[in-house]
Amino acid sequence: MTTLRALTVLLEDRLITFNRAVGLLRRRNLPVRSLAVGPTVTPGVSRLTIMIHSDEPTADRAVQQFQKLVGVRAAAAFPAREGVTRELALVKVRATGERYGELLDVVQLYHAAVVDDNPEATIVEMTGSEAFVLSCIRALERFEVLEVARSGAVALETGLTEAGARVPANI
Amino acid sequence: MAEQLTGSQILCRALLDEGVDLMFGYPGGAIMPFYHALPEYPGLRHVLVRHEQAAAHAADGYARACGKPGVCVATSGPGATNLVTGIATAHMDNTPLVAITGQVPRAMIGRDAFQETDIIGITQPITKHSRLVEDVEELAEAVHEAFAVAREGRPGPVLLDVPKDVQNQKLAYTEAAPRAPEGRRQGLMGSPTPMAIVEASRLITRAQRPLIMAGHGVILSDAYDELRALAEHTGIPVITTLLGISAFPESHPLHLGMPGMHGEVHVNRAIQQADLIIGVGLRFDDRVTGNLAAFARGAKVIHIELDASEIGKNVPVAVGLVGDARDILRELLAVVERRDCGSWRGEIASFVRPRVDSFKGGLSPEEILGALEDASAGRCTVVSDVGQHQMWVAKLYRYQRPNTHITSGGLGTMGFAVPAAMGVALARPGESVWAISGGGGFPMKMEEGIPVKMAIFNNGYLGMVRQWQQFFHGRRYSATPIWSPDYLRLAEAYGIPAWRVERAEQVDEVLRAAQAHEGPALVEFLIEQEANVFPMIPPGASLSEPIESETVSV
Repeated sequence: MTTLRALTVLLEDRLITFNRAVGLLRRRNLPVRSLAVGPTVTPGVSRLTIMIHSDEPTADRAVQQFQKLVGVRAAAAFPAREGVTRELALVKVRATGERYGELLDVVQLYHAAVVDDNPEATIVEMTGSEAFVLSCIRALERFEVLEVARSGAVALETGLTEAGARVPANI
Repeated sequence: MAEQLTGSQILCRALLDEGVDLMFGYPGGAIMPFYHALPEYPGLRHVLVRHEQAAAHAADGYARACGKPGVCVATSGPGATNLVTGIATAHMDNTPLVAITGQVPRAMIGRDAFQETDIIGITQPITKHSRLVEDVEELAEAVHEAFAVAREGRPGPVLLDVPKDVQNQKLAYTEAAPRAPEGRRQGLMGSPTPMAIVEASRLITRAQRPLIMAGHGVILSDAYDELRALAEHTGIPVITTLLGISAFPESHPLHLGMPGMHGEVHVNRAIQQADLIIGVGLRFDDRVTGNLAAFARGAKVIHIELDASEIGKNVPVAVGLVGDARDILRELLAVVERRDCGSWRGEIASFVRPRVDSFKGGLSPEEILGALEDASAGRCTVVSDVGQHQMWVAKLYRYQRPNTHITSGGLGTMGFAVPAAMGVALARPGESVWAISGGGGFPMKMEEGIPVKMAIFNNGYLGMVRQWQQFFHGRRYSATPIWSPDYLRLAEAYGIPAWRVERAEQVDEVLRAAQAHEGPALVEFLIEQEANVFPMIPPGASLSEPIESETVSV
């Protein structure tokens, strides 16, 4: 069944390894929705989260193909609905005068936070599912949005996962 | 105190430690320190080619013939890019290959220096692994990693890019045993569960119309005896794919032939009628399956394959057995019940059609290859190029000994035969090696008088493309008629004897003479201009829709 799936890959954080991993996505023509990369608790190892819209065999084959890459320590896939998916966004907004109070109301409504307050522009931070983040950004569009930085989704499968199908915390 | 060695000397030592005794290459600026060190290591024989692509093909042929990784060497920039087609050829056909390229000095990388190219970036999708060696400290380890990765699991090419200043860097070198590199691939070599083996064996027992399809994996894992034992134990007929040819003796009563686009009609019909296909070490390539939706609709598939990501990639699989073909065939043999497929084999025999004469003239590929079989007593290794002659060579010579048919299957690289045959000849000293090519793909690349016999099937066309034009483009022979040089005089320029054969009566005598000549020799066959390879499954069609003669128009 075609649905949103998370591919998680632990890999050495060298540019050539990232290059290979992203090259694989392109070469195998995978339907990528988002990409996120960040460090793990192990120095020198990064975690790559790729959201793809595909059926299960395609995701499983992608996992096997990732496992073949030199520099990849582990890879796994699961349907997004069987896990928790979160992304973070920073939005730079200009809201001056009486509109500033209106901005704070929106921020509060979305459980977002003002993380930088500058007379020229305010930076708002929000975290949640992709849909939540999008709706929050839309709500902020009633002000003047200057810039948006989204992290792309990271995901964890809920509950206990079989050891072989899990990307461990460190390796 | 440890010896002070240069990077180049360390590179040579590491190659010797890996058991390398032969490499193919071409020197140039950024690889000169390596060539400077090379004469100090007489254990490393270097064959100078005339184009780097030939170095990669020769190393590929060498590796296919003896199983050891082939080594090719080139300089940075154009030297490295010239290797690309050869590396891609090895990648598609899973040949263990280590390509060593020089690179501009580290301080110049990224500045568009003279003869700088990002060869790691260029070859990334066609290598199993590649690495820029950033310091002499990591050089020996990088070499050992390269060989380990090239060899392990499903073999393939690895590229090592060594900057010129790293080749010149000095290091107090202490010999370290080659060790397995860290952090490598997880869970690649799974072994099938006993349950899966039992399930496969149950399917084999119950099948009414089973077939074995043997691919390159049988040759790579040296599983000839096991394949034959399974076939004889069960009476299941064996099909060999283009790269599986010579994995099973062709005189064996259970051997059916080659499937796919130019497979015999009875072979493809057997596939379409089968209720079970046991695929061993193959990847169900589109040239084998034809239209996937119509491929073997009634068959369940047992797929034995080293690479888990191949299982179910093209064809739905009932039982996937991941692992080495030889191990799995042994496990299967231990549990599969003895059976006989007499009536099914009788049915397949009734599918056999008389071969359609593809020839109006007297000098047919059947005759040439039959005569070659006689002249070589069926014992030579045949290395083919790509095109019509490749199909004739695949179908019309009866291969009896394992791994005696070598060709570029996956990539279909024209120009492969002659340089690859040099590698084969060097891997099998004393054996007879024939490179067979078409007039279009024959590049005259003889180096160091390696005793390869060369045959050219000259029909004055890029024949396979012309055949497609005949059937699918209304005989518009655009850019396919070719002019050929006078090969006899070209051979003379290289100092090798050559013959031109225009009539069938000449074939036997000429081939005997060429076979008897010590050292390289060349035979040109002037064959019918519009010769075709039959049967043929049109591209995108199913195996049930062969074109069998010129009278059928598509």
